[in-house]
Amino acid sequence: MSFRLKLMLPLLAVFTASVGYPLLYAFYLSLTNYKITARYNTRLVGLKQYIATLQDPNYWNALQVTGTFVLLAVFIEFWLGLFIALALQKQKRIRNFTRSFLLTPMFVTPIAIGLLFRFLLHQQLGVIPTFLDKFGFSYDFFGPGKALYSIIFIDVWQWTPFMVLLLLAGLEGLSRSPFEAAKVDGASAFFTFRKITLPLLVPVISVAVLIRALDAMKVFEYVFAITRGGPAIQTMTIQYYTYQTGIQFYRLGLASAMSYLLLIIVMVIVVILFKRIESTRKNP
Amino acid sequence: MRKLNKVAKLAAISAAVAVVLAGCSSSSEETATDTGAAAGAVSGTVRVLMEGVPDTDIVSGLLADFNAEYPDVKVEFETASYDQMRDKYVASFTAAEPSYDLAILDNPWVGDFAKAGFVQPLDDLIAATDGYDYADFTAPLRAIGESDGKVYGVPFYNYALGLIYRSDLVTAEPATLDELAATAKSLTTADRAGIAMQPQKGYKAFEEWGNFLFAAGGSIYTDGKVKLTTPEAKKAMETYIEMYKSSAPKNSLNWGPDDALRSASSDKSAMLVSYNWMLPKLNNPDGDSGALAGKFKLAPIPGGKQVLGSWHWAIPTNSNASDAAWAFVSWISSKSGESKRVTAGGAPTRTSVFTDPAATAKDPDYLATILKILSNAEPLCQGSNCDEMITAVGTEINAAFAGEKSVDDALAAAEEQANKIQAE
Repeated sequence: MSFRLKLMLPLLAVFTASVGYPLLYAFYLSLTNYKITARYNTRLVGLKQYIATLQDPNYWNALQVTGTFVLLAVFIEFWLGLFIALALQKQKRIRNFTRSFLLTPMFVTPIAIGLLFRFLLHQQLGVIPTFLDKFGFSYDFFGPGKALYSIIFIDVWQWTPFMVLLLLAGLEGLSRSPFEAAKVDGASAFFTFRKITLPLLVPVISVAVLIRALDAMKVFEYVFAITRGGPAIQTMTIQYYTYQTGIQFYRLGLASAMSYLLLIIVMVIVVILFKRIESTRKNP
Repeated sequence: MRKLNKVAKLAAISAAVAVVLAGCSSSSEETATDTGAAAGAVSGTVRVLMEGVPDTDIVSGLLADFNAEYPDVKVEFETASYDQMRDKYVASFTAAEPSYDLAILDNPWVGDFAKAGFVQPLDDLIAATDGYDYADFTAPLRAIGESDGKVYGVPFYNYALGLIYRSDLVTAEPATLDELAATAKSLTTADRAGIAMQPQKGYKAFEEWGNFLFAAGGSIYTDGKVKLTTPEAKKAMETYIEMYKSSAPKNSLNWGPDDALRSASSDKSAMLVSYNWMLPKLNNPDGDSGALAGKFKLAPIPGGKQVLGSWHWAIPTNSNASDAAWAFVSWISSKSGESKRVTAGGAPTRTSVFTDPAATAKDPDYLATILKILSNAEPLCQGSNCDEMITAVGTEINAAFAGEKSVDDALAAAEEQANKIQAE
């Protein structure tokens, strides 16, 4: 065995134990009818759980809800994050304080943020509805057609700082010479932003959006703490639906199949995005 | 000779391994002996996970009395929120080394846990315990703890629902669903809603609407199958939705029991459908109701029939202290234990406690109403897969509520899903 391989062995061992085994076991479960309360009846059922998942309209609804959540949340977080990062780049005074202060929401666990907003937006107890009431406005933050957008707003509040962090690091790492050349040539600020800043920032943007999108796809805590998937199934995200199926309804075999199908979808998206990043890097 | 030594060594090692394994198996699981052991003979530590509710505090306060009779049994309470309880119990039931020796089961869990073999049948223990009088528990509560003709749980406390109303605002208790709707509407003002509702998706929506269904003369099961495509169910749903629009606090689609209780105690709602033991909480002079304390009254749901919920004591199959666990359960749920518990403010489960002077002394009217409620009450689900069935029906009710589906479509979908889930 080569020295390089030997050096990799500890990592491979940890990876196999912590990632490989659960993945393989979940795959095995997805091929069975395993139910926690009927373990005595467990048997291999082939692809039955996968077919059942694909035929389940609630699964497709959950995918759609999650997709909407990810697209909207990441879109807003990116543009808002970029705007704040550009502003912070120009900041001259109390830079460190502003930056650490802006990052605070990111350091709080999402379940606590979920509970915080549950009460902030609560009709009886919440500061925000009370404030709106004073001006004669009434808005049901978790009502039909609105709950998903409230959840998106909460995600934007918590995770825009993450975008700011990555984009600011990217902006500060850019070479100054193209910007100075543009300034000498009399380019407008918007032209410089569109033709120089954005193209140079593409690798950082790709990674930031990819990481945030993958993380947003795991949205669970806000739904668990506030809406439980409701009204009806309007905020039933894929993670909450899988949790409900596997843990609340004991159907671990079916939930494993749901997770594997999601894994395949995510892998496809990641591979496509990585290819795009690679091609952008080669042909900027 | 050398070969013989090897064989002897092998045999000795095998025997030792067998002894160790036998020791392990006997120490990891202990099924309760069916002798109804005498107080002095029982010992052990009983670990139990309880919900953080007033009834837990009441039981906790009686532990000193229990230990006066059973000095060698130590009961250790761990409290958790409702959301955590079932998962913690399932983890313990399926673990090689359990975390809990005694369990409390919410009514939808009993059928599944009994079928899964997670909890022990208690029939022999009940029969062997002198003076236990199992038949004294009210019939609907007994039925919840039974599965396939065996007793898997004995009642801990009931959470049957009733109508709680402000006696200074409601002049006559509504006797029908239409009267309830009319009363709620007439009580609605700019500052106060007629009724605080709890249409939160899932269990809560079904739990509240189930009462409306019973009030409309309907039922959840017909000939052993869920039957919700009935005129009574449609009327109940239409009234439920209309009442929300006309008489409930605005933006309360996501509300549960705590929100409704808060609304009533802060003079923002005149009525609510809630658990019967919420009444003492609302009428507590030192509680959240302030000057409103004492003005709340409890009545059966119009029509007389209501949704029943309950918690039951059960002994896990893998309990390490089954005898000690039963010693505690048979003490706290005995007639005298029930009397002490109800006197301290616990929710009653036995018929005899309603004529017990100590238990009824504080508020005889309240206990008389609970007896009426318990004598005509039914759980939301019977049989297996109850959590899933209740969630499915509650989601459809919420969908009709949110205007996503018509009443007919929601009821048809609820019926179809419920029967499919329970047939699996």
